[in-house]
Amino acid sequence: MKRLFTPAFLMVLALLALSEVSARIFFAKDIDGRFAYGYDPQAGFAEHGDGTVQLFRAGGRRFHRQSFQRHRPPGRYRIFVVGDSVPRGPSFRAAYPWVLGEDLRRQGIQAESLNMALPGYGARRCQVVLKKVLEFEPSLVILHVDDSNKWEDEREWRRSQEFQGWHPRHWLMKVFIFRRLYEANEEKVFWPLVPEEVRLKCAVSDADAEVAASQDPKEIAARIRLAQEKLVENVALVRRLRIPLLLISQCRVEREDGRPPRLSDDGLDAICAALTGPGVYHLSMREVFKGEAGPSYFSDTSHLQSEGHRLLAQAICRKILGERAEFGLPEVKVAAAGEPPAGRLATSGGQPAAPPVTESRP
Amino acid sequence: MSFISWQYLIFLPIAFLLYWRLSGKKRLLLLLAASYLFYAGWDVRFLALVMATTVIDFLCALSIDGEKTPPRQVLLLALAPAAWTAACRLFLPGSGISPGIMGLAAALGILLFAAHELLWAWAGPRRRRYFLILSVCLCLTILGFFKYFDFFVQSARTLLETAGLRTDPVLLKIILPVGISFYTFQSLGYVFDVYRGLTSACRSLVTFAAFDAFFPQMVSGPIERGHQLLPQLEADLAFRPAYLQDGLSMILVGFFKKIFVADNCAVLANYAFDPATHLNGYWAVLGVVAFAFQIYGDFSGYTDIARGSAKLLGVDLVENFRFPYLAKNPSDFWSRWHISLSNWFRDYLYIPLGGNRGGRWQTLRNLGVTMLLVGLWHGASWIFVLWGAYQGVLLILYHFPPLNLLPGKSPAKDRFSWGSLLAVPLMWLFILAGWAIFRSANLAQLGAWFGALGHWQSSLALPWQSSCLWLLIHTGPLILLQLLTLKFRDETRVRSLHWPVKGAVYLVLLLLVVSSSQQDQEFIYFRF
Repeated sequence: MKRLFTPAFLMVLALLALSEVSARIFFAKDIDGRFAYGYDPQAGFAEHGDGTVQLFRAGGRRFHRQSFQRHRPPGRYRIFVVGDSVPRGPSFRAAYPWVLGEDLRRQGIQAESLNMALPGYGARRCQVVLKKVLEFEPSLVILHVDDSNKWEDEREWRRSQEFQGWHPRHWLMKVFIFRRLYEANEEKVFWPLVPEEVRLKCAVSDADAEVAASQDPKEIAARIRLAQEKLVENVALVRRLRIPLLLISQCRVEREDGRPPRLSDDGLDAICAALTGPGVYHLSMREVFKGEAGPSYFSDTSHLQSEGHRLLAQAICRKILGERAEFGLPEVKVAAAGEPPAGRLATSGGQPAAPPVTESRP
Repeated sequence: MSFISWQYLIFLPIAFLLYWRLSGKKRLLLLLAASYLFYAGWDVRFLALVMATTVIDFLCALSIDGEKTPPRQVLLLALAPAAWTAACRLFLPGSGISPGIMGLAAALGILLFAAHELLWAWAGPRRRRYFLILSVCLCLTILGFFKYFDFFVQSARTLLETAGLRTDPVLLKIILPVGISFYTFQSLGYVFDVYRGLTSACRSLVTFAAFDAFFPQMVSGPIERGHQLLPQLEADLAFRPAYLQDGLSMILVGFFKKIFVADNCAVLANYAFDPATHLNGYWAVLGVVAFAFQIYGDFSGYTDIARGSAKLLGVDLVENFRFPYLAKNPSDFWSRWHISLSNWFRDYLYIPLGGNRGGRWQTLRNLGVTMLLVGLWHGASWIFVLWGAYQGVLLILYHFPPLNLLPGKSPAKDRFSWGSLLAVPLMWLFILAGWAIFRSANLAQLGAWFGALGHWQSSLALPWQSSCLWLLIHTGPLILLQLLTLKFRDETRVRSLHWPVKGAVYLVLLLLVVSSSQQDQEFIYFRF
């Protein structure tokens, strides 16, 4: 038996075991839910004994690091913004959820606005986050509606289902190190080196299949249908709990040669409008950014620059303040001298109160 | 089942454990059952063909060796393939075996039985030769029918239509049985060896059947010789740890070559050789270089896994690749690439044709004929015949200036020389041109590939620079591995490295294999 295990074999075994154990001990928090690809309901949320909830990066969730109280303090107006990379913003403080919180606090509202947006999340994965968020007693949920992440949702769903169970073909992938390497290849570390046209010719992995599917009209229609079904479910979920819900419908910039850029909602405005009703409200980004200067607020076809986030936050703030009762806000107070009048936005004068949401540092 | 499937990763350890637990006849029976199970993982119906080849060559070899099998036994053995087809029809309703196929199998059995009895009754002193002819005819008929029938019918139709004759031939659209070329050649080689007296006929059907269907090398070689493999199967070895260590080491190298190198290089090769691709000179070169690494990684990877699997059972299979891309001349290339096939054609075709004994022109003729058949062996397509012809021309030209100035392959000249520094890159160009022929689907595509070499700037072609980096990333580790093992003159001899280096190599190979393991592509040589 002794001769069976050569020093080289033992060396490989020891190094693998050491890496595996180190990863599981020292990075336990970060690898939690890693292979659920965003479909693990708990990933990225840490609930502490003192009643605080911390958001951190784990399980395919690149949350902005934030912390808040599990139970909403009395008098606090708690907003959760759920969506994709657009509401996540270029930085935590430049994104519209944060700006919105500041704007509302300037109006004397004890608002805490939490950015629960995650890049690449479509309606399907947003639903998982939404279900978790609803446990934290929101006063308002803002759902940023965008159907451009349907491919990622579907691909990550397949990945999350892969290697489940104890079938022998899954054994190797139970080792974290192996699974991570496999995943790195799935995420195509070297893939950008090969032109997309070449990848399409040999669609062997799910990433290739995604690219191929995005060019198939039937597949596109099916994915859009699925995303819409999930959106309807998400709306019903919030509505059932009688929590106000604001749908922000995404728009994108279409740039054609020789023509001025224009904004298109890809039919999302109509879909969101159809879902409105008691407790469900709608704000169209296309309406917010209409006008010649609108496209200049975008950094690419769909992501906003900081100024764009500010403009959108102001529009949301106006909407909330304009329909205070519907959004569950307390009655209008008479503005004290020096304070900006309620229902109108202070643009430069008023200073916001200290934010109840804390941005935790890594 | 495929070597790169999870089924094989379960099958092999079970076969390994049971094999060393048993001994003698039971061990051979287990090996045979495992081999048939392995083959049935592809297509259970075609086991009838494996059985037919085994029975034909077993009986013929015995007869050549002067041992007559009792008629009842011959009849039983000859009808075994027909019985198998009947069993498939009975127990596998969806197998598609019709009464016609069963009838054909039975007719083949009766023909074998009748020929066997007639030759024993009438052939007299020429019986040995006639049994050899019987074996060759029956085996090549099976091979020809399943591999070349549609090809020859289609070619005849094209020829007749060129001459203005309209035809409506019957195309059978036969599925090519996996590994048929390999096990047929191995079995035939054994009969030739018995005929020449190089080995005596195997008296045990189980041993011979296990030799014919030895699962590690049955599907894609290496093509073994009776006198090398049969004694190893018959030897009742005791387990040694070295079998496990060497076997696993070879298997790991094989997985690395196939999964990391070949499958990733295939990405570029498949694109470059797609008929719809706009090729320019850069992509043509990139595609063929990628294919050179793909086919090498694919086939030598398979061989390494086969050799490793056999080593786990204490069996040494012959070496099939020895750094082929370091060849210095065409002859040297064929002594490094698919060595078992080259040796087979050399021993059973080239030398019987006269080899290089009858003067220069006869040698050249023999080389040409041999290489044409090597090409045809690879597949039922004119492009493979053309590839064989190209290899033949290279070997012929090697006998004339300036190619005969390339360094030779004798051990004395195998050392480093300035000549070899020039010869290896030059030989690479010839090899790449050969792979361009081999990879092209037809002559039109081949023409397009060569045409692209004249157009280096094309606005329709994709940027190629970053793809070069992709190729380098996926071939660099292979080149490093080969540099490490070059001094041992054995590609898989990682085990001879100093243990820390060996451990590091194992770890890197393992991680690279795992990182590429999602691609489930088939081995190229399964088509042959």
